[in-house]
Amino acid sequence: MLGRARPGAKDVADKGQSGRVCVKVYTGTPNPAELQFLETRVATLPTLPKNAPFTAEDVDYLNRLVQRSTPLQRSWLSGFLAGLDAAAGQTLGLPSTAPAAASRPRTPLTIIYGSESGNAESLAMKAKKAASKLNFDAKIIDMADADPSVLAKAKNLIVYISTWGEGDPPQRAVDFYNGLMGDGAPKLNGVRFAVLALGDTAYVNFCQTGKLIDERLAALGGVRAADRMDLDLDFAKAAAAWTDKTLGVFTPADTGPSATVVHVDFKGAALNDDADPDEPLYTAENPVEAEIAALINLNGTGSTRETWHVELAVDAPGFTYKPGDAIGVLPENDPALAADLTQAVGLGSDASLTLKISKSFDITTLSRATIDQYAKLTGRKDVAALLDGDALAKFSADRQLVDLFKAYPENLSADQLTKLLRPLPGRLYSVASSLKAHEGEAHLLVGAVRWASHGRKRGGVASTFFADRRKQGDTARIYVKPNKHYALPADGKTPIIMIGAGTGVAPYRGFIEEREANADKGKSWLFFGERNFSNDFLYQLEWQDWMASGALSNIDVAFSRDQPEKIYVQQRLWERRAELLSWIADGAHIYVCGDEKGMAKDVDATLVKILAESAKGDLEAGKVKLKELTKANRYQRDVY
Amino acid sequence: MTDTKPDKRAKNEIIKENSRLLRGGIADGLSNAVTGAIEEDDTQLLKFHGSYMQDDRDVRGERAKKKLEKAFSFMIRLRIPGGVVSPKQWIALDDIASTYANHTLRLTTRATFQYHGIIKSNLKRSMQAINAACLDTIAACGDVNRNVMSAANPFLSKAHGTAYDLAKNISDHLLPKTGAYHEIWLDGEKKIPKPASAAAENEPLYGPHYLPRKFKIVIAVPPDNDVDIFAHDAGFIAVVEKGEVVGWNVTVGGGMGMTHGETDTFPRTADVLGFCTTEQAVEVGEKIMTVQRDWGNRELRKNARLKYTMERVGVATYRAEVEKRLGYKLGPARPFKFNYTGDRIGWHETTDGKAADKKWHLTLYVENGRIKDLPGSTHRESYREIAELGICDFVLTSNQNLILANIAAKNKSKIEDILKKHGVSIATSSGLRRNAMACVALPTCGLALAESERFLPDLITSLEDVLDAAGLKNDDIMLRMTGCPNGCARPYLAEIGFVGRNPGLYNLYLGAAHDGTRLSKLYAQDVGRDKIIALLTPILKRYAKDRKTGEHFGDFVIRAGIVKATPAGNKFHDDVKLAG
Ligand code: SRM
Ligand SMILES: Cc1cc2nc3c(=O)[nH]c(=O)nc-3n(C[C@H](O)[C@H](O)[C@H](O)COP(=O)(O)OP(=O)(O)OC[C@H]3O[C@@H](n4cnc5c(N)ncnc54)[C@H](O)[C@@H]3O)c2cc1C
Ligand SMILES: Cc1cc2nc3c(=O)[nH]c(=O)nc-3n(C[C@H](O)[C@H](O)[C@H](O)COP(=O)(O)O)c2cc1C
Ligand code: SF4
Repeated sequence: MLGRARPGAKDVADKGQSGRVCVKVYTGTPNPAELQFLETRVATLPTLPKNAPFTAEDVDYLNRLVQRSTPLQRSWLSGFLAGLDAAAGQTLGLPSTAPAAASRPRTPLTIIYGSESGNAESLAMKAKKAASKLNFDAKIIDMADADPSVLAKAKNLIVYISTWGEGDPPQRAVDFYNGLMGDGAPKLNGVRFAVLALGDTAYVNFCQTGKLIDERLAALGGVRAADRMDLDLDFAKAAAAWTDKTLGVFTPADTGPSATVVHVDFKGAALNDDADPDEPLYTAENPVEAEIAALINLNGTGSTRETWHVELAVDAPGFTYKPGDAIGVLPENDPALAADLTQAVGLGSDASLTLKISKSFDITTLSRATIDQYAKLTGRKDVAALLDGDALAKFSADRQLVDLFKAYPENLSADQLTKLLRPLPGRLYSVASSLKAHEGEAHLLVGAVRWASHGRKRGGVASTFFADRRKQGDTARIYVKPNKHYALPADGKTPIIMIGAGTGVAPYRGFIEEREANADKGKSWLFFGERNFSNDFLYQLEWQDWMASGALSNIDVAFSRDQPEKIYVQQRLWERRAELLSWIADGAHIYVCGDEKGMAKDVDATLVKILAESAKGDLEAGKVKLKELTKANRYQRDVY
Repeated sequence: MTDTKPDKRAKNEIIKENSRLLRGGIADGLSNAVTGAIEEDDTQLLKFHGSYMQDDRDVRGERAKKKLEKAFSFMIRLRIPGGVVSPKQWIALDDIASTYANHTLRLTTRATFQYHGIIKSNLKRSMQAINAACLDTIAACGDVNRNVMSAANPFLSKAHGTAYDLAKNISDHLLPKTGAYHEIWLDGEKKIPKPASAAAENEPLYGPHYLPRKFKIVIAVPPDNDVDIFAHDAGFIAVVEKGEVVGWNVTVGGGMGMTHGETDTFPRTADVLGFCTTEQAVEVGEKIMTVQRDWGNRELRKNARLKYTMERVGVATYRAEVEKRLGYKLGPARPFKFNYTGDRIGWHETTDGKAADKKWHLTLYVENGRIKDLPGSTHRESYREIAELGICDFVLTSNQNLILANIAAKNKSKIEDILKKHGVSIATSSGLRRNAMACVALPTCGLALAESERFLPDLITSLEDVLDAAGLKNDDIMLRMTGCPNGCARPYLAEIGFVGRNPGLYNLYLGAAHDGTRLSKLYAQDVGRDKIIALLTPILKRYAKDRKTGEHFGDFVIRAGIVKATPAGNKFHDDVKLAG
């Protein structure tokens, strides 16, 4: 657990901010990791005198704590201690001391987020926690359940927003977004706001939604309290720092060193909010090593598909997930490509360098940012020209970084090269198993991404990492990506309708394994689509067993290329609409997983059509019904 | 059938009995989307509809690991009595091959088409497409009278035409009458509401149990014995006088299939039962079949073919019963003479009729009957292109070959040009190849013990070197191979016969008569490619050197004492002297 040293120390800081754990701080002995970490920070502020009313050890300890505390933390701490005595009063049997400062009203703060896969959401959650500890009266709002008018009531506003599709807002934030952009948007005169945008520089419209919301808030009269920050997939550290800073900005000027009494509820929640339930133990920053227990291409010989069933065995405490969650994989690049890259920039095939970049840098993505840096670095006009108009889109459509270097060759130093590269981001895979069926294992279903362009065979980093560069018994670094918005119904009796094409079937294997293990009685119905029945029926034997045992109640399949006309899942949905509607009437939850462009859009449209027909109304009526289902968490999507 | 004593009947008898005249659970099986298979029992019934459930044996090993069931698919066999299709039909059939099957058409040893690799979800569509082309698959397989073959090319002479008509009449007359076929495949109205009994509808000729086993009828026009008349349960040999068919010699009790190591199973050449007129022929065929229906063994399927009934009761008794049912006696058999069981590859002109009406017919050798485009030889495309011109009919032969028939003299070159363009040559590389047949076997045939269709062409290529050296390149020598002892390519009637025992290993049979009248004899057991060449090389050399003029290879090996002659089926396993 070496990787836990920092978080361990952080615990001391965070926990030091809640009543109970303060006690721990005074009595408990720090673990070596903490000490070693604290050592590095001592002696910048004046330290407690040796004669302070504490044991030498405590003095020493308090010093460490003070040294490494931020002004905010110190102001909070003094306020807290004052509050502590105020609250405990005489009962402590001490000469009563007046509070160091008078209690003051907490600062109102509205934190609003729009999130698809949970990143912006978890940042918002963290911000809320930090804020309430810093005497903010913080409320948190999901754009999914709100109307833009809530913004008008806000005084201080922090927005966490991601971008999806091709520059679109997250699915569940679309209405809010449209409302905000539309004429009906509220006036925001005097609202102080700050926007943090999440995105992926691999996409042409990097952080598009965040950018537009930031502009819009200003246009509506809002006052930009802190500059927007656009973050790539490696957002965690920068986001935390930005949140800290921004909270500082929103903290009334006269706080700071002069203390504010903190209202501590000794009986209530504040006491036990140390462990963070929605923070998984293993994250992209703190991955866990898994052994590849099985690695099988599920497609039969002669298939046009290549879909790998990957069984990851994790022997580590606290490794857990729910069906519906995703597993993050930290892949490694194809060393051959890494070598090509170093060759292309005149660094030959420097073994240690290629190893380094193939392990930890993104060497495939051709982003505006990289091209921009490369242009500046090399001072090449022709490279810079790629940034004009739609030149970038054209050039990068089916090219990668190596093509840029080959097309516009320049010699770079190892340092210049690595500075150009972003860290290699993890890839998410819907977990295809249940821990109840496979203890200590997570199964993934990975579609191999392969294509050829400009005379080069190309492969997706993570998918070919499994398909080509890993074998059974090797290891992979993984983490858990919880997905609150894609989970089995709490009630095992609730019917579920599972719609997925290709790898989109993955979570449903986990769902059925889970329900079988729980002996849940709820009906289940799978709609599965792929190309050819004979070779592409992923997990066919398992579905057959579950149909036989009753764990799966219904199955409908659509194989697009088995017959002259194309047949897709949405057609099966339409054919079975009568029975579908009766399931929905019985409270069924509907799940859609898989490719957004290839399937989810059409499934969505078909569901609207079906609901419209049943409502004897137009498509609008159908849309409304589907929205109701979404709001009731009965229509959940996991699309990519 | 339902009395108290223990039911010793074969499982299939009970399946048929409970099937509501061949319906069983087929329809339900087709609609079960989670599997590409249908119920085991229903696969037995499906045969009567002209289809077999199979699986791709090449990939069996990997499927379970990939969490996939066997790669199930279906074979469809058409019923085309006389084996003639129009150009329009050819185009339709060719389309079906690309749309639903494995992009090949397979000409069978019984002059019809087979499709392979049709998945369950396309089975009904395929059946409907076939029927849309005015063809069907009813009773192409199963315990019924199968497709009736007649001497290839009904257009060659008046007599051939008469033989063709008889084939059609018999086939139609002996068709099952159940509505199951239309109900399941053609959405015809349900004749019997499930689960009612079959009584409502009846099978006048067959009854609810149909026949004990498959039943095959063929019609020959001497001197050609292309249909291998003695290999079938029943046959009619045209007796021709001045170009007119005056009647038929009737044969009964032929069959090929046997089981390795079970000497009570054996191939058998048919006996001649007697003579009948054309007016009587259909009825005679029916009575021969119904006697077998009533006398055939329904407890032991291995022993259920007519040939074993014949062994049990003898020709005389069988004839007497047939005549009793006919109400008249069959005439004494007329003399007949065959000379060849192969096809005469190349151009032929109609042999009789007015000069003005004469047409040309081109017999093409199709390797193992597999119509499949290969680089350099796109014969499937060539036939398609020819069909689109609409200038000929298509006739299938009992040797897996194809005849382009009824071609006007002025169109001959057109046809030849198209063939040339697609790299299809009329001449074959050797007489051995020209007379070679291999059954389907792997990967589709569930009973195959060894390769056949996919192996024979190479083997012949190796043997051709030997033939070259011996100067036998152009001699007609009958060679046939099957992947198991069932004998689908009639190997026991070939001068050189290979029958698969194990992967890569074959039993080698020699000494069958060139005219199809005498069975062969086992000469070597479990021999692979090299051993086969080693064994045959000296024999072929001797044949080239020592044969009498006109002496066929099959007769030579007997005269030379290489194998003993097999006078009758029940002597097939006798006098075997294996080569060292
Ligand atoms: C396609 C064909 C061989 C070919 O390469 O052309 C063929 C193919 C099969 N035959 Fe045959 N038989 C074929 C002509 C024959 C012949 C030759 C003939 O009839 O002239 C025979 C020997 C004559 C006879 O019937 O005795 C023949 C005797 C068998 C037998 C053994 C029957 C017996 O009673 O001994 C079987 C196995 C069985 O029926 O149990 C069999 C079974 C089969 C099956 C259906 C295997 C099965 O039962 O699962 C084969 C399908 C393989 C595939 O993948 O297509 N096939 N089969 C021929 C189709 C003829 C047709 O159009 O109807
Ligand atoms: C929540 C979530 C769940 C997911 N679940 C699964 C899952 O269960 N199974 C699964 O397989 N995937 C899943 N994915 C997708 C997965 O995360 C990866 O995106 C996918 O595996 C590709 O990653 P890679 O590293 O192999 O390819 P990358 O190295 O990321 O390359 C992908 C990129 O290559 C380029 N590219 C790909 N094909 C072409 C082409 N033909 N022409 C030009 N350019 C092309 C595109 O820019 C594309 O974005 C999920 C994604 C998310 C967000
Ligand atoms: C299918 C898909 C499409 C995406 N499209 C974009 C995009 O157009 N622009 C962008 O900057 N980021 C894009 N991203 C990256 C996400 O914004 C990024 O993963 C972000 O961290 C997700 O945050 P969330 O979990 O809060 O939704 C996309 C991601 C996925 C999986
Ligand atoms: S002979 Fe045997 S292997 Fe060949 S097709 Fe017939 S049953 Fe199959």
